[in-house]
Amino acid sequence: MTTQTPALAAGRPAPATARPPSAARATRRRIRRTALCFLAPFAVLFIGVYVAPIVYTVDQSLYKLHHSGLGLSAPTKTFTAFGNYVDAFHDSAFRASLLRVLLIGVVQVPVMLGLALLLALLLDAKSTLLKRFFRFAYFLPYALPGVIGALMWSYLVAPGLSPITSLAHDLGWSLNLTSNGMLAPTIGNMLTWGWTGYNMLIIYSALQAIPAELSEAATVDGCSAWRIAWHIKVPMVRPALVLTTVFSIIGTAQLYNEPATLQAVAPNLGSTYTPIFAAYDSVANNDFPYAATESVILAVLAFVLSFGFLRLVQRRGVAR
Amino acid sequence: MVRRRWIPAAAAACAAALALAGCGSSGGSAGGGGTASGPVKLEFWGWAPGYQQSVALWNKSHPDIQVSFEKVPSGAKGGYTKMLTAAQAGNAPCLAEVGYETLPSFAAAGALQDVTQYLSADQGQFAGWTWNQVTIQGKTYGVPVDVAPMGLLYNKTLFAKYGVTTPPATWADYAADAAKIHQADPSVSIGYLGNDAYNYAGLDWQASAPWFGTASDAWQVSVDSATGQKVAAYWQGLVAQHLLSTDQSYSATLYKDMAAGKILSDVNAVWDAPILASSDTGQSGQWAVAPMPVWNASSPAYGNDGGSSTAVLKGCQYPQQAAQFADWMSTDPQSVTNLINVTGIYPAATSGLTNSALSAPDKFFGDQTIYDVFKAEMPEINTSWLWGPTMTQTATDLGNDLGDVETGSQTLTGMLSDVQTKTVSELKSQGMSVSGS
Repeated sequence: MTTQTPALAAGRPAPATARPPSAARATRRRIRRTALCFLAPFAVLFIGVYVAPIVYTVDQSLYKLHHSGLGLSAPTKTFTAFGNYVDAFHDSAFRASLLRVLLIGVVQVPVMLGLALLLALLLDAKSTLLKRFFRFAYFLPYALPGVIGALMWSYLVAPGLSPITSLAHDLGWSLNLTSNGMLAPTIGNMLTWGWTGYNMLIIYSALQAIPAELSEAATVDGCSAWRIAWHIKVPMVRPALVLTTVFSIIGTAQLYNEPATLQAVAPNLGSTYTPIFAAYDSVANNDFPYAATESVILAVLAFVLSFGFLRLVQRRGVAR
Repeated sequence: MVRRRWIPAAAAACAAALALAGCGSSGGSAGGGGTASGPVKLEFWGWAPGYQQSVALWNKSHPDIQVSFEKVPSGAKGGYTKMLTAAQAGNAPCLAEVGYETLPSFAAAGALQDVTQYLSADQGQFAGWTWNQVTIQGKTYGVPVDVAPMGLLYNKTLFAKYGVTTPPATWADYAADAAKIHQADPSVSIGYLGNDAYNYAGLDWQASAPWFGTASDAWQVSVDSATGQKVAAYWQGLVAQHLLSTDQSYSATLYKDMAAGKILSDVNAVWDAPILASSDTGQSGQWAVAPMPVWNASSPAYGNDGGSSTAVLKGCQYPQQAAQFADWMSTDPQSVTNLINVTGIYPAATSGLTNSALSAPDKFFGDQTIYDVFKAEMPEINTSWLWGPTMTQTATDLGNDLGDVETGSQTLTGMLSDVQTKTVSELKSQGMSVSGS
């Protein structure tokens, strides 16, 4: 770096207020040193806890553990390039876990965000009573630690303990909230319960930022509250909706807590229910390279989905 | 929840990085402070209640070798994963509680330390077959702690209420009693199937339906054997007639149903006795222990569900001291008394069998001397059982399928062929030789 400086300085016209070149160089060096000092903590942490683990994970995923004979001694590690990725592609349990999470996301995210938007609009409406109470009440589930909420719901749906199923039973309806078909709706319900309030708050704060004159002008023009909501407020909180959707896509891809907690009362919830379950299962089987492979695939898919969504809405925004 | 909390997640990542750094440095200093100055320090990871007290006894009498016990989640609930991960990272503890069933998996992961040279003299203190469980291909990796004969833990008072005055001696009797109880009150079941793979293994163990064998440097997998199918068909019959509860093993629902008098017995290992006693306190004095029902009354054979070792893990700096502690914990009379009283073990050390704690009456079981029942079973337990190197996978698959059996989307007989296929393909995918398939 320092050796280049004179050459650069020579290439440029001399500054108008000519200072002695040695002093200028010293100043520049000092500035550069200060900048480096300020950047170093970020750079060290960024490389150490962000870049390095990713590089390490990708590197791990390119190897395979290999035994021979009875295999009762430490395995050897061999380079297989994309062998693990090919295996993952043929791994029906892993594919099913990806599909399951995708399905939960496709149904649950729109329901949750629709509900969050509705609640936010209601809170924002002039005629709503007890605003502070409702805002607090809707937000409360998010303030609870996620596992506590999941644990609570586990007991509310557990066969033999659930008041919901026993009530349904009394009404002559045999309901099992942890049967194979009901697992995904039950988990979707837990997610919606826990996260609607959080998303509502983001949308609500975006609503608060809309200038009051807009609504007033619309009211003067004879616009109903519903039409104000639909034609003015919703388009104006679009960025907040995009943001919460992206967060929700990423969050659903990482689904773990709810099914892991629910597993205690639902034996049919398998050990590869979500992609993170599958990766964890591979670690339990001491197959770290394959766990790394599954993690990389999940990360890439979550990235593609969330950025794909962003690109999609951005393009549409421009077209409009 | 992992989602959407960017800042906490980043903070957690930083904290984790710092913690990891801390782990590394503390491990280093612990390694440095050895014989030169101060006592040798050994770490011990396990989960069984009572281990802590045995460690405290050792520390009091052995000032030169100090063991620190760290409670980790039980093996199947993440404890083994934690140990394997630590072994992979090179900072595993010297000592770990490892079940016999998981030792071959640990060996296959290269996570064990060969301590044959320090322990060969101690072999004679233990039941021969338990020593075989901790010795893999001629190398000893730890010391046996206990064995786990299975029995029928049953609610004597409620059995009598439904007209069952003597506990079933054979599986045919068990099925007949199950039907009798169900007829008297359809909401009451004699027992439950559960979803614990190793409990199910105990049923196959009893019937001499081994899951694994070896022949000329290759594995033989026989989960789906003819005898195994016979056992599965019997239990599937009970499930199909709705004679068994579908509660999960060790679940809150199970103990709630037992306390409510809806489930009357548990076919389980000796170590389940204290668990049951602490989970169903309201029925103290009502329960009793009978021998596990057998297939053939004229030549009885019983099952084993569990049994574990104190293993020495790879990278231990003081393997000799670690082996010395492990041997002491399983043989010292005071330690064994503690393990019998608190952990509920049936000792693997032959000297332990004369321990007076084994003849103490148990209040929960109506002041019965329950160990007498298990002691009588011991000579009739198959001692040639062999575990495979992919038991984590096999047990997970079996547990998943048992869960599906409870919801009716799988049968026990189908489960065996499924687990057989998956186990063989897992062995092969790891490059191990499998014969006969």
